[in-house]
Amino acid sequence: MRRLLRHLILCCLLGMALAASAQPLSAQVVLVSSESAPAYAETTRSLLDALQRSGLSAGAVDVLSPDELTRRADAGRLGPARIFVGLGVRATQSLLAVDVNAPVLSTLIPRRSFEQLLRASGRKASDQLSAIYLDQSLRRQIALVRLALPQAQQIGVLLGPDSVAKLPELRTQAQGAALLVRPAEVVSDQALFPALREVLDGSDVFLALADPVVFNSTSIQNILLSSFRARVPMMAFSTAYVRAGASLALYSSPTQVGKQAGLVVMAALRSGHLPEQPIEPDDFLVDVNPNVTRALGLTLDGVELRQALRRLERLP
Amino acid sequence: MKTLDIRARMFLAAMLPLALISTLLASWALFARYDDVQSAYEQRNRLVSRQIAMASEYGLFAGNRTQLQGLAASALHEADVRWVGIIDRQGLVLASAGNPLDAPALTASLLAAQGHMPRRRLDWVSQPVLASDIALDDLFDGAAEPTVRANRQLGQVVVAFSRQTVDDQKLNLALGGAVIGGLSLLFGMMLALVLSRGVLLPIARISSLVHQIGQADFQQVHAQRAQISPTDPLHDLQVSIHAMSDQIWATRDELQAQVALATQELRDKKEEAEKANLAKSRFLAAASHDLRQPTHALGLFVSRLAQLEHSAQTHALIGNVQASVQALQNLLDGLLDVSRLEAGAVQVNKRPFALAALFDQLAQDLSDAARDKGLALRIRPTGAWVLSDATLVYRILLNLVNNAIRYTEHGGVLVAVRQQRALGLLQIQVWDTGVGIAPEHLLVVFNEFFQVANAARDRTKGLGLGLSIVRRTADLLGHPVTLTSRLGAGTRVSLTLPVIDQPSASEVVFGGEENTLADLQGVRALVVEDDALALAALQSVLQGWGMQVVGVNGTLAALQQVAQGVRPDVIVSDYRLPGDANGIDTIRQLRSALNADVPACLMSGDTDTTLIGQAQAAKLSLLHKPVRPAKLRSLLRRLLVE
Repeated sequence: MRRLLRHLILCCLLGMALAASAQPLSAQVVLVSSESAPAYAETTRSLLDALQRSGLSAGAVDVLSPDELTRRADAGRLGPARIFVGLGVRATQSLLAVDVNAPVLSTLIPRRSFEQLLRASGRKASDQLSAIYLDQSLRRQIALVRLALPQAQQIGVLLGPDSVAKLPELRTQAQGAALLVRPAEVVSDQALFPALREVLDGSDVFLALADPVVFNSTSIQNILLSSFRARVPMMAFSTAYVRAGASLALYSSPTQVGKQAGLVVMAALRSGHLPEQPIEPDDFLVDVNPNVTRALGLTLDGVELRQALRRLERLP
Repeated sequence: MKTLDIRARMFLAAMLPLALISTLLASWALFARYDDVQSAYEQRNRLVSRQIAMASEYGLFAGNRTQLQGLAASALHEADVRWVGIIDRQGLVLASAGNPLDAPALTASLLAAQGHMPRRRLDWVSQPVLASDIALDDLFDGAAEPTVRANRQLGQVVVAFSRQTVDDQKLNLALGGAVIGGLSLLFGMMLALVLSRGVLLPIARISSLVHQIGQADFQQVHAQRAQISPTDPLHDLQVSIHAMSDQIWATRDELQAQVALATQELRDKKEEAEKANLAKSRFLAAASHDLRQPTHALGLFVSRLAQLEHSAQTHALIGNVQASVQALQNLLDGLLDVSRLEAGAVQVNKRPFALAALFDQLAQDLSDAARDKGLALRIRPTGAWVLSDATLVYRILLNLVNNAIRYTEHGGVLVAVRQQRALGLLQIQVWDTGVGIAPEHLLVVFNEFFQVANAARDRTKGLGLGLSIVRRTADLLGHPVTLTSRLGAGTRVSLTLPVIDQPSASEVVFGGEENTLADLQGVRALVVEDDALALAALQSVLQGWGMQVVGVNGTLAALQQVAQGVRPDVIVSDYRLPGDANGIDTIRQLRSALNADVPACLMSGDTDTTLIGQAQAAKLSLLHKPVRPAKLRSLLRRLLVE
């Protein structure tokens, strides 16, 4: 029922956007969404809510698909928009490909992907081109580990080509929390199990860092099984991992991302520029898989952990 | 090709579709079941191998050989599983269980594959082991996903299955199908037999019905009419056949009645005709007998008269009387011959004989008659021998030459022989230069009483019986007679007989006796004759020949004469004597009384055929009245010589 309602609203929004697109672009904010998946729709809705709550009329926001954006840009009908918001990798990519002549905020994008896009387009992050990453900060993650598993001494990580760069910071953060990092690098998926065994052997917690070579829909099952068999709780970066069998996950929901993006957009509209450096999500959720944690002899509560973490970060 | 009888045809007609349908159905069911069994077997194989593949996912991921070995070993407990191999993605067999001989040749493959090892009766299934795909719906890895996809395969599970069970099942199915098919065929055969009997029995009934009609056994057919059942499939046909049979029966009876009637009429008419013929014969016999006695006596008297001394005028008169008597006697002889031939009383006695003797006799008998008419009778001598009855051939020639003389006024008559050795035949030809026969008469001259150019029926020219006798006699002998003639130029008659080589002397029958004739002078004769006139005439003729004659009128008188010491040299007896006596008995009694086989001859006026037979049986010469004195004389001479 809820889902249906969501779809209905999205359809209305898209309809409005299409109606608007018929005219030369006169909106102040142009929202480009990579796709119509629930996460993007939810983010869009949340962003629009935030904008409206900040006093921006509904007519001031246009929602486009990457293709529409490209078509309009080709037709020279992009109009006098004051800010462009890209949701997801594809949207950001298309915005980077068009000379929009206005600030561009990319959101709902992993740090790795944004950096890749910048490299590919030869541009740099600035107050005209910024992002809100999906990735949680390592500090927050280590803090959560500490909160959830106070007894943990060693923290295992599997590093792929993308995530290997995080190791120094991770070590620093872990050290601060009196945790020892047991890293193992995965060069190819064939070497996954030996690395995994090495990491899990002796670790108290297994921290998953986003890297598609290591963590993907094919490997996750066996990684989860291995960690479960080794009785090492796994902390992941998405609620999908919790559903698949991870003990807990730290992540930002699309609503939270949308809300944060709305605030950034309003600030940009007011000031005319974006944060110079991409920012990390300011709100988050902690999901716990009660079955797995119970089987591992743990008692965790996601809500409590979130609140404790927020308190730790001195967030409201 | 051998023709199938109706029973076999009916059986086939009923059986073939049934057999076809049952075979098709059984085959269809069997193949359907085969497919079921096979697909169930294959499905189970795939299921088992997929299950092993799923179970070995983590083992392959972790490279846990112990776990995989345990998995393989436990998989071996599944029915039909003969070999299980778990292979990693490098093609290394991490775990296997079962007989290594049953292991198929392996190729690492992403796709599920299956194969067959016919020699070991094994099927193998290869199932790739893929890492479970969990949809993360994650914003993090969306872009990188495609590069990872290719490496989902962790390894491969190969399982070899024995076909033994499925083959046994198929065999059982085939056997079951065969049994059911056989039973249904058997049932079908019985059904076909019953059905075909239902049609065949009526057909057999009809067949026997028609057969009986063919045999004209209508009584039987009619008796079966009541047995026709109204439920019979061929009821109408049978009813129609019965109706037809009754119709034929009635028609046949009617026809038979008509035929019987017609036959009866014919028989009546035949009897009538036979009666008439018999009456005619009796009349002829009686008339000729009655005529014979006086003619006989007359001849003898005239003969005797001629022996006496007379004046020339009287002598001429006696000559005329003698000629008239001769003609009269000839007529009676002809009638007698015809009646004998007609009665079939003439016995044919074929033996070899020389024609020369016959021709001599002919010359002797007819030279005078020819000379009297001023004709030259030439008989060309021959040395040929023929196989026939001399007496009958002689009679034919006598008639032919007599005829020739009768119908010839100028010229002569020639008798000659033409041999046809190549054919084994001989023709006796009688030529004359007489009046000839018109072509239109050639066919009828052989009929009785037909005479050429004698419309006035001058009886001095005979009765017209000559050629008729010739033809009848020749037919009796089987000798063809041909006649060619030209009116006014003459006639040639040919008699064809089989010629033979001259036999030895002992077989000679005819001829030569003229030389050994006895003299009648002083011979004692006993004459038995009841007719006083005939007795007197005969006595006087015999006495004229110089014989001593004792004449009696019956058997008793003759025996008395013998008893009184009369010893005759020859006995001449009439056949018909007073009372019940007859000449044959009389002669026998006289011979026994005389105690000697005295030569004897019979005379009779009867033309009765039985008499001729009796005379032959008693070995007595029979002379028919009127007896010509010359004939009697030559007979007596011959008898006395014998």
